[in-house]
Amino acid sequence: MKLPPGQLRRRRVVTDLSTPLANALEAELTGYMRLESQDALLLDGDGVGVLTFEDGIPVLAYHTGTDNGGAAALADIAVAGPHRMELYELDRHVLTEVHEEADLRVPPGLPAERLAGNSRLGERTRERAPGDRRHERSEGANELDAVEAFLDDEETIETLRERASEEATLRADEWGFEVE
Amino acid sequence: MVEVFAVASGKGGTGKTTSTLALGMALAAEYDVTVIDADTGMANILFHAGLSDVETTLHEVLAGNAPVEEAVYRRFGMDVVPCGTSLGGFREAEPGRLRDVVATLAERTDVILLDSPATLGSRSAVLPIVLADRIVVVLQPTIPSLSDGLKVQEYATTYGTDVAGILFNRVTDDEAIDRIATKAQRYFEGETLAVVPESETVRAARRASEPLLAHAPDSPPAESYWEAASALTVRPGESAAVADRFRSAVIPDDS
Repeated sequence: MKLPPGQLRRRRVVTDLSTPLANALEAELTGYMRLESQDALLLDGDGVGVLTFEDGIPVLAYHTGTDNGGAAALADIAVAGPHRMELYELDRHVLTEVHEEADLRVPPGLPAERLAGNSRLGERTRERAPGDRRHERSEGANELDAVEAFLDDEETIETLRERASEEATLRADEWGFEVE
Repeated sequence: MVEVFAVASGKGGTGKTTSTLALGMALAAEYDVTVIDADTGMANILFHAGLSDVETTLHEVLAGNAPVEEAVYRRFGMDVVPCGTSLGGFREAEPGRLRDVVATLAERTDVILLDSPATLGSRSAVLPIVLADRIVVVLQPTIPSLSDGLKVQEYATTYGTDVAGILFNRVTDDEAIDRIATKAQRYFEGETLAVVPESETVRAARRASEPLLAHAPDSPPAESYWEAASALTVRPGESAAVADRFRSAVIPDDS
């Protein structure tokens, strides 16, 4: 997925994606959110997550490291926080073509549920979505099924733990803590 | 005897402060408990414990402007050390002094609970986890909460802090949580202490500026916290030895 830079509206490090997703919704942003893992900044970079919006409603999700799109990309992004979040505004016509990529599409409320664990924001986003998108749901799986699938993915969890341990060791040095 | 627990979660909104005070009150039935608001950047305990009008808080102590005894308030059967909310107080506070605060309080209590910041992003945020003997990880059954909880566990174990257990909070689906808790258990080192249901009572307690166990001691979420506290076996440690350990902890003061 190729996107032009657009107009930077916000940039910050976030531990909880509820706030930026709610902000994008309230501002009815058309553009995209770029999510770079803080781990990637500290350790070796391994891609960024991108989430596009139309009038504040999420449309596509993509992860450049795994090349996953849609709900799978959200799962990649969800485990990678805290993030350096950048929010860009784009002209609507720039996104029209990109938004035709059916494989990358996500139901409106899913990013709030998967990335922030915030079902209320997910519901609010669904209510504000245009009529034809309001009833989009991810295939079959509800939120807790997705959590179970995450817990069944031993490889992803092992990687997450190894990276966190590596990060903690690097930071111990920086912060002057003893490592046992 | 004294054991220091950090109540931690990688992410906000899991109900960490509610959990810290609830565990504190439940443990206070058996032990002498001190609860410290170690989330110096986003103080919460004062609002939950009816202490929003107090003059001296942990901020003044960490700034070197008051002895720790002046920031200790006897409430709900335990000692509570709240943190202030002013930005000035936060700026003046030296997070490294938390070590001395814990060392001083360790001499006069059985259990210390540190309400920890919901981030691993800075040295001062991680400090409570480093200082604690064990952590209690507060989780919600969501992917970001579980992955952040796993990261907290890795940080803790890397810094020599054990995991006392995990606590699922704000749970809405009773059936699925059993499967999720069982699967999560494979990755977390402590046991599942309890599953706390999502409840309007928790919000009502917060609005009343009372800990849940004081506001609604027989409510379903309160029952879960009683259960969690009874599943938590406090390990006796020699108070003097623990105090010495904190004082000699290799933590530079220039944070």
